[in-house]
Amino acid sequence: MMLEQKATITSHQKIAPRVFLMAFASPQMAAQASPGQFVHLKPSAPGPLLLRRPFSINRVEGKNIFIMYRVVGRGTSLISSLPKGTEIDVLGPLGNGFEISRKYQEHVLLAGGMGLAPMQFLAGRLKAMKLESRFFYGCSCKKELLPCPTPGKVIATDDGSCGHKGFVTDAFLSRIDKFKKPVVYACGPWPMLRRTALICRQHHIDCQVSLEAFMACGVGACQGCVVKGVKEYVTVCRQGPVFDSREIDWEQESGL
Amino acid sequence: MKDIRTKNVDVSVEIAGIKMRNPVLAASGTFGYGTEYLPLVSPALFGAVITKTITLLPRAGNKPPRIYETPGGMLNSIGLANVGAKKFLAEKLPELLSRHPVVIVNIAGNTMEEYVELAGLLKGRPGISGIELNISCPNVRQGGVAFGSDPVQAARLTALVKKAIDQPLIVKLSPNVADIAAIARAVEQAGADAISLINTLYGMAVDIEKQKPVLGNVTGGLSGPAVKPVALYNVFKAGRAVKIPVIGLGGIMNSADAVEFLLAGAAAVQIGTASFVNPGTVKEIVNGLKDYCLKKGYSKVSQITGKLAL
Ligand SMILES: Cc1cc2nc3c(=O)[nH]c(=O)nc-3n(C[C@H](O)[C@H](O)[C@H](O)COP(=O)(O)OP(=O)(O)OC[C@H]3O[C@@H](n4cnc5c(N)ncnc54)[C@H](O)[C@@H]3O)c2cc1C
Ligand SMILES: Cc1cc2nc3c(=O)[nH]c(=O)nc-3n(C[C@H](O)[C@H](O)[C@H](O)COP(=O)(O)O)c2cc1C
Ligand code: FES
Repeated sequence: MMLEQKATITSHQKIAPRVFLMAFASPQMAAQASPGQFVHLKPSAPGPLLLRRPFSINRVEGKNIFIMYRVVGRGTSLISSLPKGTEIDVLGPLGNGFEISRKYQEHVLLAGGMGLAPMQFLAGRLKAMKLESRFFYGCSCKKELLPCPTPGKVIATDDGSCGHKGFVTDAFLSRIDKFKKPVVYACGPWPMLRRTALICRQHHIDCQVSLEAFMACGVGACQGCVVKGVKEYVTVCRQGPVFDSREIDWEQESGL
Repeated sequence: MKDIRTKNVDVSVEIAGIKMRNPVLAASGTFGYGTEYLPLVSPALFGAVITKTITLLPRAGNKPPRIYETPGGMLNSIGLANVGAKKFLAEKLPELLSRHPVVIVNIAGNTMEEYVELAGLLKGRPGISGIELNISCPNVRQGGVAFGSDPVQAARLTALVKKAIDQPLIVKLSPNVADIAAIARAVEQAGADAISLINTLYGMAVDIEKQKPVLGNVTGGLSGPAVKPVALYNVFKAGRAVKIPVIGLGGIMNSADAVEFLLAGAAAVQIGTASFVNPGTVKEIVNGLKDYCLKKGYSKVSQITGKLAL
């Protein structure tokens, strides 16, 4: 159930160049959140920012909700300057998260760049459910590598400065025959998701992707955050952000 | 404390024969079909809910991206994406009505004939308290603002739709016109029972890295605090030109903003972009209007309307 709350930032730190990890306290949201869902937030005090900004829930610890985000523009830059103890206004948890089913034997996670954010929550949930998972994480180079406590990851960097050289989708593809009754969950930049969706289609593997779009309302009221589905436009905030990859038209250009 | 306030100030209004529990309405396109914000915000909190624009046939809307924040405001190029009249009447309207709000249906068409046919479908429908005629959408190639920028066309369409319905007719005007007073007078003479303004202002944004427009539709409509002075001006000008009630909107974020519009001549206000920012804005505004009335010694919120000293 969607809530709107004033929440206090309980920790906020820089974990990599331009990347921050923030925690805020909300027992009610923490109790309800599921992997793949997001929060729509803004500073409580009026300021230069108008709209809220959406962030995936990175993980939940007790009453705290974590988000992990990269500073890319005005909003994220302003949010990154809010110190511990500041009150923020949070709408959430929003959207449909990943669908976890026991009918699969191996749960394969693919994260590209900031797409790591929701995957840690998912990996934790799978572990708690005692489900077998494989984690692939890729980014451009060693410098961009984000700290991620999930053990046993396969790492890929575009320039080979850490782990496998190449895209995370290549590392995944090179192992694809080894998976037993797999399902794939992916989050990352559009080209990576498109490649993942195509590979999964060719190999008849079910695949869920987490998408992004500019958002206004975050609840399905404005039709602002749509992407092209195979039949019609779909709202990322309400019908997503997690979609079955077969529902998305991968020929479209990403607007972001 | 709250009870005393409620007793002392009457915030209900009646506009064009539509009785509303308060003068704060949900603006078309910003509150969906009225139920999306549940359970957080009930549509019944508003004096009336104005639905997303409905067209005769479903519309997919424009190519994304469709929204972008600009300083103090936002651009949108939704393009009247909606489920179409059939599904609206069969599914969305009953769902909304089960929550007991006053419902006003906003309509648009590509041609005058389409507007009239759609209006005919709404005639006599129980639960539809009024029709808002959208002749001011900047995001569609046909219809929309094309009918709203010419007084002759606007009047013709108003008269045709008025004849086709049996509910009060509100005509929603565009600020993208040379002479707002002329348009307002034209639709009044053609039979409009009220006017609402403003719809969004033409706008655009450019991505300098990609050297491309940010919006998939290239251009869009600007809303939010950035447009408030323009909106107030238009409400003021139009209000002085007509005798029918004026519903003001554009950039209203709080009760002080709402009071400005009422003072400038509006009988009620609508909130749009503010709901995205703070879904509960409607509550804050209604309470703030009561406080303002108490402070000024008014027993009715309608006493604020047009009180501007010139
Ligand atoms: C469901 C969802 C979950 C998200 N989760 C995370 C997350 O966990 N961590 C994270 O770092 N980011 C996440 N994002 C992206 C994040 O919302 C944007 O980076 C942020 O809104 C940018 O705000 P800004 O004001 O700093 O940028 P703006 O000044 O608005 O724009 C600056 C740049 O950011 C890009 N941008 C703006 N909005 C978005 C967006 N919604 N998605 C992608 N790029 C955008 C623009 O293309 C532009 O280049 C998520 C987005 C969605 C829709
Ligand atoms: C995302 C979005 C969608 C809108 N859709 C419609 C619409 O379908 N029909 C309409 O008449 N106005 C539409 N509008 C205009 C608003 O109803 C309103 O006139 C405008 O946004 C100014 O008010 P505001 O500044 O309070 O948002 C839309 C506005 C926004 C931001
Ligand atoms: S952000 Fe409004 S519909 Fe998704």
